[in-house]
Amino acid sequence: MADKKRKSSDGAKQLQRREKTPKKFTSKKSNPKSSGKRRGGGSGGGGERRGPRLPSAFRKQLDNLGNPNLYGNSDDDVEDDEVIDSDEGELNYVKDLYEYEEEVAEEESKKNRRFDHVENYEYELPEKFKDEDILSEDDDDLGPGDEDDDSIDKEYDEGRHARMLEDITGIHTQAFADKKRKRRAAVSEAYPESEFNPSCDVLSGNGSISIQDLLDPLRGTPSFSKLRKRIEHVEKKGETVQAPLPKPERERLERGAAYDHTKKDITKWEHLVKRNREAPTLYFDQGNDMGLPTVGTMASEFKPRTDFEKAIASILDNKEISEAYKNDGAKLLELNKISIEEVKDRQNRLAKMRSLLFRHEMKAKHVKKIKSKTYHRLKKKDKLKAASSDLQTDPEVAKDQFHSMTNHWYCVFMVQARMTLRHRNQGKWAKRVLERGLSKQDEGTQAAIAEQLNLHNLLTRKINSMKDGSSSDDSSDEDDEDMYSSDEEGASKLLAKAKEKTIKIMEQEDEVPDSGVLSLPFMVRGLEKRKEAANEEAKRALDDYDLSLNQSAGKGLKEGTSSGRRVFGVPKKKIEEAANVKHRPDVDNYGSDNEDTIEEKDDIDIDLDVLRDDLETVDDSAFKSVIDVAKDSGPRTSHDVSVFTSGSWKQMKSGGKVGSTSNTNVKSVREVVKPSPSNDSEEEVEDDSDTDSGGHMIDGMLTSGKAYELPSNEELIKRAFAGDDVEEEFEKVKDDVLNEENPEPEKPLLLPGWGQWTDVQKKRGLPSWMLEEHATAKQKREAALKKRKDARLKHVIISEKVDKKGEKLYAKTLPYPFASKDVFEQSIRMPIGPEFNPATAAGALTRPEVVKKSGMIINPIKFEEVDPHERVEDQKQRGRKQKSNNKSSAKKSRRSIKT
Amino acid sequence: MVVRAEKIVPATEQYDEELDANIKKYLRGESANLEALQDKKLKGQLAVKEELYKRSAKTAANVEKWLLPSEGGFLEPDGIEKTWRIKQEAIGKEVDILSLKNQFDMVLPDLGPYKLDFTPSGRYMAIAGRKGHLGVLDVKNMNLIKEFQVRETVRDVVFLHNELYFAAAQKKYPYIYNIDGVELHCLKVKKSDFSADEHGAVSKLQFLRNHFLLASINKFGQLRYQDVTMGTMIANYRTGLGRTDVMQANPYNGIIALGHSNGSSTMWKPTSPNPIVKMLCHHGPLTALAFHPNGHLMATAGMERKIKLWDLRKFEVLQTMPGHAKSLEFSQRGLLAASTGSFVQVFKETAGSQNYSRYMSHSMAKGYQIQEVSFRPYEDVLGIGHSMGWSSILIPGSGEPNFDSWVANPFETSKQRREKEVRSLLEKLPPESIMLDPKKIGTVKPPKKKDKPTRKEREEEMEAAVEAAKGKKLKNKTKGRNKDGKRAKKKQEIVANAKKQFIGQNMKENEELSKKKRKRIGEGAELPKSLQRFAKKKAD
Repeated sequence: MADKKRKSSDGAKQLQRREKTPKKFTSKKSNPKSSGKRRGGGSGGGGERRGPRLPSAFRKQLDNLGNPNLYGNSDDDVEDDEVIDSDEGELNYVKDLYEYEEEVAEEESKKNRRFDHVENYEYELPEKFKDEDILSEDDDDLGPGDEDDDSIDKEYDEGRHARMLEDITGIHTQAFADKKRKRRAAVSEAYPESEFNPSCDVLSGNGSISIQDLLDPLRGTPSFSKLRKRIEHVEKKGETVQAPLPKPERERLERGAAYDHTKKDITKWEHLVKRNREAPTLYFDQGNDMGLPTVGTMASEFKPRTDFEKAIASILDNKEISEAYKNDGAKLLELNKISIEEVKDRQNRLAKMRSLLFRHEMKAKHVKKIKSKTYHRLKKKDKLKAASSDLQTDPEVAKDQFHSMTNHWYCVFMVQARMTLRHRNQGKWAKRVLERGLSKQDEGTQAAIAEQLNLHNLLTRKINSMKDGSSSDDSSDEDDEDMYSSDEEGASKLLAKAKEKTIKIMEQEDEVPDSGVLSLPFMVRGLEKRKEAANEEAKRALDDYDLSLNQSAGKGLKEGTSSGRRVFGVPKKKIEEAANVKHRPDVDNYGSDNEDTIEEKDDIDIDLDVLRDDLETVDDSAFKSVIDVAKDSGPRTSHDVSVFTSGSWKQMKSGGKVGSTSNTNVKSVREVVKPSPSNDSEEEVEDDSDTDSGGHMIDGMLTSGKAYELPSNEELIKRAFAGDDVEEEFEKVKDDVLNEENPEPEKPLLLPGWGQWTDVQKKRGLPSWMLEEHATAKQKREAALKKRKDARLKHVIISEKVDKKGEKLYAKTLPYPFASKDVFEQSIRMPIGPEFNPATAAGALTRPEVVKKSGMIINPIKFEEVDPHERVEDQKQRGRKQKSNNKSSAKKSRRSIKT
Repeated sequence: MVVRAEKIVPATEQYDEELDANIKKYLRGESANLEALQDKKLKGQLAVKEELYKRSAKTAANVEKWLLPSEGGFLEPDGIEKTWRIKQEAIGKEVDILSLKNQFDMVLPDLGPYKLDFTPSGRYMAIAGRKGHLGVLDVKNMNLIKEFQVRETVRDVVFLHNELYFAAAQKKYPYIYNIDGVELHCLKVKKSDFSADEHGAVSKLQFLRNHFLLASINKFGQLRYQDVTMGTMIANYRTGLGRTDVMQANPYNGIIALGHSNGSSTMWKPTSPNPIVKMLCHHGPLTALAFHPNGHLMATAGMERKIKLWDLRKFEVLQTMPGHAKSLEFSQRGLLAASTGSFVQVFKETAGSQNYSRYMSHSMAKGYQIQEVSFRPYEDVLGIGHSMGWSSILIPGSGEPNFDSWVANPFETSKQRREKEVRSLLEKLPPESIMLDPKKIGTVKPPKKKDKPTRKEREEEMEAAVEAAKGKKLKNKTKGRNKDGKRAKKKQEIVANAKKQFIGQNMKENEELSKKKRKRIGEGAELPKSLQRFAKKKAD
């Protein structure tokens, strides 16, 4: 191929040379237009159709004229002389066409050379033929076309000349032709030698350039000797350089080498990546500091920008000022005029005040924090006491004060309201209205009723608030009394006090208002009536007190206490007390021991007897709480009961000072009694009663036959014969269950009429396949039964039914990486929550794969030496530090996680 | 001469048996054999996990050994002394004041035999007198929180998820009260509704804490589960074994066990209408039943004077002891209390062997009929409910010495209680999670027995059938019918026949599959409205 090329170029050169021969032949057609046309035609013939195109007829003609010959020359090296000759002839002809533009022709020639190959083939054949054609044409055109004639003539001349030479010498025409060519080349060289214009020697192959030639110009350069030596070496060895491999093969080899190289480069990452892949957790929480800027850092970076800032900065930075300040900063202060003592004084004063304030504050806080109810109650009581100390000291003064304090009109109104009792909806009218139903009444009536209710509320509230004070006083008294209620004296004192009070009340009630509604005669009468009743009641109470006082004097210590409690001021308080006792869960109840209680048994036995008799008379639904009190001590209850039965309770209440609603008092009394630690007597009594009654009940139970019932006959028989058939029954049940879950195969049966036409079949019995089927079914069943969990346990039936609802709690299939069920199940055996693991270990169990702070910048991975034999676990222990060192590695593994 | 030197082991490396046992306990089983695993990645992951488990177990064991505040212990006899001879009085003399407080008799003779129930923390106790006395006590402070009279028979009482609510089985219906004695619910339905949904006259109640289920057995032998969060009746099953008041929930898996008069006991879960286990325990009627806290041990007592201990993993009798028991109860540390008449006995597992033997005994005053014994959690106290009230005696070593506030906290504040309530509600387990072996949850579903054979199996079967058919030897036929051609034909026929049934099956399946597919496609890709009229109309 290379040869070919060379040849073709050779041809082309020849062609050029010929072109540059002196222009003997000038033609009329040598105008630019025609040349342009030709060129266009040539290019068109070459297949690259660019530029203006000639009509095909024209082109054909032109082709016929020149081209075939032109290219015929460079066609093949296997050409005859004739061809060459003709070729030359044609060349001449072509030369005429190109003559005008020599400059372009140089480059053009090359182009032409390029086009040659293609064009040549087309017109190769007709070459000889063309000669004749041309000839014939020439014959035709001889007259008009001079130039054609000339060229042909010349060609003829040469051809003839060659033939003649051949004939004469007997040598082949070629020799002559060569000679001629050589000569011509020597002559026609007109251009500087270059790779584009190789010299004639080169082209002909005679004077080739040797390495020496190339080396010569380099002589004297520093690397010359080296080069020369190498070349000599090469020449000596005479090795031939092998032809380079084909491109794909070469590239393949290159790729392979590159791959090896890269592989080596990449394998160094392997351990790093492996480690990160195997690490249970990757940390990205350290390394680059992403903490928010602190005030300090911000301040350090501050630079004054505005004028104001700059001014301030200049002052701040001023060395003089700062030094002055450092030296005596005190001078800069205005305080320097004040004397040191003064300052000290002031400071001391301030400090004192502050400390005082602080202490006060602390105290207030402390007091506020105190949760003790006792404390607060005592505090409140103190306050009240302080307030009403003068009241206490002198009742007269107190009364005055009270009068002065309260409005006279209000007093009157109150009394009025209380007298009429209108507000309680107890009047005839009110009752009737209520009976009919309030909602049915007209608005006026409703409003009136509402007003009454309102009034009632108002009054009761007022009374309560008034009574509170008094009751708390009472309670305080009681409190005091309770304190020493353990001894007899206290009890008697209580009684005495109660007596006093009743007398006082009686006396007080003697006072009758002189004016107002109360002074009206009928009112006075009514009041008197009431007073009388109250007096009676009071007298009775007094009698009781006396009696009990006497009793207490006679009785022993403990009885005394109980009786002492019995007095307790006024009867209503007992109720409260009782309620209190009932509601209060008493810790010491549980600790009751027989030994403690036995001592007091006898006393209380008597009491209890009395108690029960009395209790029966009482309406328990109404006064349940009273019953409880009654249980505590006999005499007291009897007294209570007598009070209630006499029905004087209401009267007493309405009688004036004592009357009040019970709940307020319950409160106050409770408050008093609860915290008092010396309730021994009371508790003891309670305990006594408890154990005592318990004892009673034990007796009762034993006698009543509640304790143990002899089993009935039926049961005895059942027990005696138990287990006779239990096992059998169970076996039956088990069989049933088994049959249900693994049904027994049906026995093989012949359908009547089937297979029984003859005796033979009857004799044969069932067909063998049937029997076989049955046998296999039976076998299957037995195998299934054997597989059951309860196969060996006679006394157990374990259901094998599948729980459909529970199926969702199982994994449907084995999860992906696991290949065996056992491994999977063993891997989930441990709970990993904080409830089941110690706090130190739970974190590691539930740590996520990647631990990363939000907003953390994750840098790309960096190379780092890793010990390949290190275990993952150790790395983990090395923990964060290592990770932080190469957060980059973590990054890489993160990538791997992603993939 | 041979010099024998004892190997000196540093103290830290000494083989600690106890610690090892504990580690084993906390590891909850063996790890799988990782060496046999093919998948290297999985192997690595599992190895890491296993290492973490090991570390966790070790930490837990160490915590148990070193950090727990108190230690449990039992009565230890000197020489020939017998522990069961030691009286309560003798114990009372030795113990501290706080424990002494737990030794008392509460005599309440009027309102009949008492039933007791403790909260899991052991702080609160509910009492129920047969004649209608209900109450809640703070047994730590010895504080009566509330007591009231319902004036009808009360057969049982049980705390719900915390001390604020309790359920009482009363004459006709069970009721739910709160701690203030307010009746919150009466578990009955309106007359118009079906009566199948109401509990009826319940004889025994149990509350499953993790599932929030209130289980009851009524006098007709019907077992009912009611979800107390939503109030739905989860299940209602007839036991068909008559009336019983022997019912106990297994604390380990939530299974309810019933004891019947025919000597059998049945175990139930709310999702199956038949008992999952039925076992013949005694020849006489069952009188009492109790579960060990670890769930593997069950004690039953029969009328025929036997107390039996069962291993629930194998359903076999471990031990049979003579004696009646009207009530049985296991303590947290595995002591077994049994009561009969006015006599209480406590059995203890002898160290080393699995046998229970007598540990302590206590007799109440004559005539006291013990109704129920109940160990107080986290205290060495046994509560005894009897006909004259209730008593409390000391049984050293019965309670767990250390409490875990994740589980139950005797010192719980109200805030903690509230949070725990919310947490436990969030963690409520569905009723289907009650099963014999709860460890099976999350494992691979066991293969179904009666399931259709898979395609692969069927193919294999077919191949086998075809092979069998091919291998079958043909009989020699008479002359003329025994030609090779005929024989080949015959063979082909046989093979085709063998294939036939399988092919038929396959076809059927394929058809079904395609139908399904078509359906799915039809459902999935709804045509736009404009194109719908061109769609093929279904043959209606």
